Amino acid sequence: MTVGSKVKQTLATLNWIQGTLRIYADTSENVEEKNTFERSLKVTQQVIADLQFRVKALEFEEPQYKGL
Amino acid sequence: MNILTFLLRSFLMFFVALFFIRILGNGNFSKMTSYKFVTYMFIALIAALTSANVISNLIFGIIALAVWTLLALALDYLCIKSKIMHDLFIGKETILIKDGKVLEDNLSKIRATGKDLLGELRSKNAFSLADVEFAVMEATGELNVLLKSDKKPLTAHDLQRKIAPASKPQAVILDGEIKDDALGAVNLSREWLNTELEKIGVISENVFIGQVDSSGALYLDLYDDNIQIPQNNLKELLYANIQKSKADLTSFTLDTNDEKAKAMYSRNAEKLKKMLDKLEPYLLR
Repeated sequence: MTVGSKVKQTLATLNWIQGTLRIYADTSENVEEKNTFERSLKVTQQVIADLQFRVKALEFEEPQYKGL
Repeated sequence: MNILTFLLRSFLMFFVALFFIRILGNGNFSKMTSYKFVTYMFIALIAALTSANVISNLIFGIIALAVWTLLALALDYLCIKSKIMHDLFIGKETILIKDGKVLEDNLSKIRATGKDLLGELRSKNAFSLADVEFAVMEATGELNVLLKSDKKPLTAHDLQRKIAPASKPQAVILDGEIKDDALGAVNLSREWLNTELEKIGVISENVFIGQVDSSGALYLDLYDDNIQIPQNNLKELLYANIQKSKADLTSFTLDTNDEKAKAMYSRNAEKLKKMLDKLEPYLLR
């Protein structure tokens, strides 16, 4: 497995985490709990953005693996 | 006096007594003050005597009930307004143990022996007098006990652990029927519930009780106890996946030679670690 596909796999997991966190942020009633989930959601979004940027850079370096 | 009038009087007095007791308000017997208890006894007695024709004039009986009820209410009002009246009629709390020492004078004031005190303490799970810091008998006769700080049950606060606040779960399915108002109380819809049920593979008609907690985890009890349903472990799964992503990022840090990428990976791994610490009380409770 190339580095690129490994990163993409992690990116997929993070996207799942983001979705699940969003459900919890939307459904929790307790303000503190809601805030914690919302903050975590933001952190996850930042991490995803960084990784997406990295994936682009990797695809530029190894264009033969693009899209994998 | 024939049977019919007796029947009618009893019938009437039942509701009259009920009416006055309702006016007096609800209280439960174990926590009742003595004068309230006397009032209740009096109402019961007058009602019984009137219906049994010992008090032959029905109106007199009802008037007596009304007067006692009014007086009791007036006394209630006075006790709320005046502290002196409150202490006089309802009574004061009596300190029985202070700084771990039994106050014998106060004990004899409430006409209790050391044996009584020990018995009461035992009912509060304080079997050893050495464990008790402070004990007070309330005006209602109930003994309340403060244990010495090293004998108190351990709390999450003592362990300096953060624990997610638990809120009231809602029963969204009862006897196979979906309760829309309970669903609304946790901001969920029928569609959500149907998707959740579909995921587990049951229909709502087979569910005896379905409960949702504040974070949206559904717990089901089916009519057929032989059917095993998967437990909702989405939260553990979420925790595990965040942990896995964090581990991935850490390994990417080691894999790459690009200094900028290395810094980015380790920064994000650190972010996820902090996030995990914050989420832990909510996801692994």
